[in-house]
Amino acid sequence: MADEKKPVETTGHQWDDDEGYPLKEYNNPLPKWWLYTFYATIVWAVIYWVFFPAWPTLSGFTKGTLGWSQYKQLDEEIATAKAAQKPFDDQLAKMSLKEISQDPRLLQYAISGGKAVFGDNCAPCHGSGGIGAKGFPTLVDDDWLYGGSLAAIHETIDSGRTGAMPAHLEAHDGSFNTAQVENLTDYVLSLSNQPHDAAQAFKGKALFNGEAGCNGCHGDLGNGSLKGTMEGEALEASVGAPNLTDGIWLYGGSRKAINQSIAKGRNGKMPAWGSGFEGFGRKLDPLSIKEVSLYVHTLSGGSF
Amino acid sequence: MVHASTPPLEMYDYGVIKKFSIMAIIYAVVGFLVGDLLAWQLTFPDLNFDSPYLSFGRLRPLHTSAVIFAFGGSVLFATSYYVVQRTCKARLFSSALTNFTFWGWNIIVLAVVITYPLGLSQGKEYAETIWPIDVLITLVWVAYFINFVGTLAKRKEKHIYVANWFYLAFIITVAVLHLVNNAAVPVNWTDSYSLYSGVQDAMIQWWYGHNAVGFFLTAAFLGLMYYFVPKQAERPVYSYRLSIVHFWAIIFLYIWAGPHHLHYTALPDWASTLGATFSIMLLLPSWGGMINGIMTLSGAWHKLRTDPVLRFFIISLSFYGMSTFEGPMMSIKAVNALSHYTDWTIGHVHSGALGWVAMVSFGALYHMVPRLYGTTIYSKGLINLHFWLSTIGVVLYITAMWISGVMQGLMWRAYDEFGNLTYSFAETVAAMHPYYLIRSVGGLVFLLGSLVMVYNVYKTIRQAPDRAARA
Repeated sequence: MADEKKPVETTGHQWDDDEGYPLKEYNNPLPKWWLYTFYATIVWAVIYWVFFPAWPTLSGFTKGTLGWSQYKQLDEEIATAKAAQKPFDDQLAKMSLKEISQDPRLLQYAISGGKAVFGDNCAPCHGSGGIGAKGFPTLVDDDWLYGGSLAAIHETIDSGRTGAMPAHLEAHDGSFNTAQVENLTDYVLSLSNQPHDAAQAFKGKALFNGEAGCNGCHGDLGNGSLKGTMEGEALEASVGAPNLTDGIWLYGGSRKAINQSIAKGRNGKMPAWGSGFEGFGRKLDPLSIKEVSLYVHTLSGGSF
Repeated sequence: MVHASTPPLEMYDYGVIKKFSIMAIIYAVVGFLVGDLLAWQLTFPDLNFDSPYLSFGRLRPLHTSAVIFAFGGSVLFATSYYVVQRTCKARLFSSALTNFTFWGWNIIVLAVVITYPLGLSQGKEYAETIWPIDVLITLVWVAYFINFVGTLAKRKEKHIYVANWFYLAFIITVAVLHLVNNAAVPVNWTDSYSLYSGVQDAMIQWWYGHNAVGFFLTAAFLGLMYYFVPKQAERPVYSYRLSIVHFWAIIFLYIWAGPHHLHYTALPDWASTLGATFSIMLLLPSWGGMINGIMTLSGAWHKLRTDPVLRFFIISLSFYGMSTFEGPMMSIKAVNALSHYTDWTIGHVHSGALGWVAMVSFGALYHMVPRLYGTTIYSKGLINLHFWLSTIGVVLYITAMWISGVMQGLMWRAYDEFGNLTYSFAETVAAMHPYYLIRSVGGLVFLLGSLVMVYNVYKTIRQAPDRAARA
């Protein structure tokens, strides 16, 4: 086939010569750089096979001289990372949240870990950096439902919270008619100084502190279970009833949104990340919960 | 008639080639349109309009199948039937089989368009078709094989031209890949269970997936290149010897490279190593096709100034060379640890799919369609416009995905001074947004280019003096 002495001759064959330029082939030799680079890749492959697991055999495979495996590589990388964090983790495990918060270096470490945990577990509901969303409280202000102390935040994350606002309208299995729900709505609007019907709000106030029993959770002044009181007695803080006077709303502060909250009720659910939820078992280890508690605590400036 | 030597051409079956060419152009527009919609959905997720039929998970396989099998497949049917007849000086083996491949293939595409948006899928990437469609694909493919080999058998030329080796390798290998990967037990008309499970299933899937790229999108389009580049450049192929050596090297090496899609998974280490090393050894054999194509033009470089069709060929070969360099690099475990699961992979695929496959197909269609209809192209200027729109579109697309992909990979593995992750997953998604926007615009520019081609081809066919005569 090939005429070695005249490399730029064609092979002498010709195709498709009825129309246009007929197809022909030069018989140029293989480009040298191409051939030698090809050989080099083969040599590289053979060397690689010597060092790494490569060829299957009847009873296993060639292990390679380096003794490398992907599982070994993973174990080693994790061990190195854990060893680097161990001195911090040991201290974190021993110390209380308050003690950690007073040690700047340890706190920095805990916040760094807490931020990573938060980003992949908490941010889907609470938003990046804890900015919050409708139905999911913002964590960057100092308005807390269950308390902003380190202990309260830790308990919220570890054991979870269930916020239950009952439905009040008859149509939703409540005990009140449409007019009464309207009256309650106007009263709640008045609590945050929004435009409202004063006469209806007056009737609503009576319901709020009377028949409807709203003050049992929200307090006589509607300022929530953390700050409020009922007939002089402090409220049960773990109820998590929001302050209705501060203009910060979990489900919206418009007339329509407030009316919906009263008429149909609301159910908030913070999963229990430590003790496990919905049959999935523990989601975060105690150290991670400590770290993320400290991180969330710093988002709002924190209280003790 | 515009050509002097019409009698020998009369004996060729051009009707099916015309039909496949027109369908290829229609499917190109549909495939690019769905692809660009998906790009916009990734930029602005509300664009799925809360409809299950427009959701990313259902449209994505529709896009990949539309561009690979509907557009790419139609281009390959059209060009292989054109090339095998002209280089063998023989009419297609059987007009019944020819018609069966055309109607069968288009019914398959129609079935895909109906079943995927309905959520009917067997969940294998690039092989999502449910088993009844798989059976039809098998029948069409066997008909294609018999028709192609039958035509080769009755050739009037002594030697089989190199383009036909590549086409034949593609037909045979795709048949084997399709049969093995889709082996399944049907339980009803729409569902089936794969014969494989666990890591074996994953390995079979990527042996299929990688060689679908290797034989459908590489070997077959190299066959196309070996006919249309020398024909358009009016130069002999650079090296016959190189064509033989790189052909057999590609055939032998490509089939081993699949495991590089499964690095750092349950796949055994040894399979992973073999996949990576065979991918590296594949680099130069792949480049053989680029060298032969580009060197065929040596001595005819001046033609690039006046011939926009040649420009399509030369840039497609450049993208081919770039992609076939990038691929082996990404198969190295250390590189793959960064690139895998990121947009870098998407960029790599599209530099091959848009830059190589689509561009070389556009060149072939611009060469072939006027000759099928016995006319010349309506507007060279519009080919040139298409060329620049395509090139700008591809460059926007792949540079955006490179940056986005490498950034994504680096953000995933970024640790702070305490060894904790610096970024949450959501933060990496937010960081990719601007690059997704650039990608969407790039895709749109590429899509506009294809519409220019539609217009140009339409006007070319309309002006043909003898539209019926040569059918």
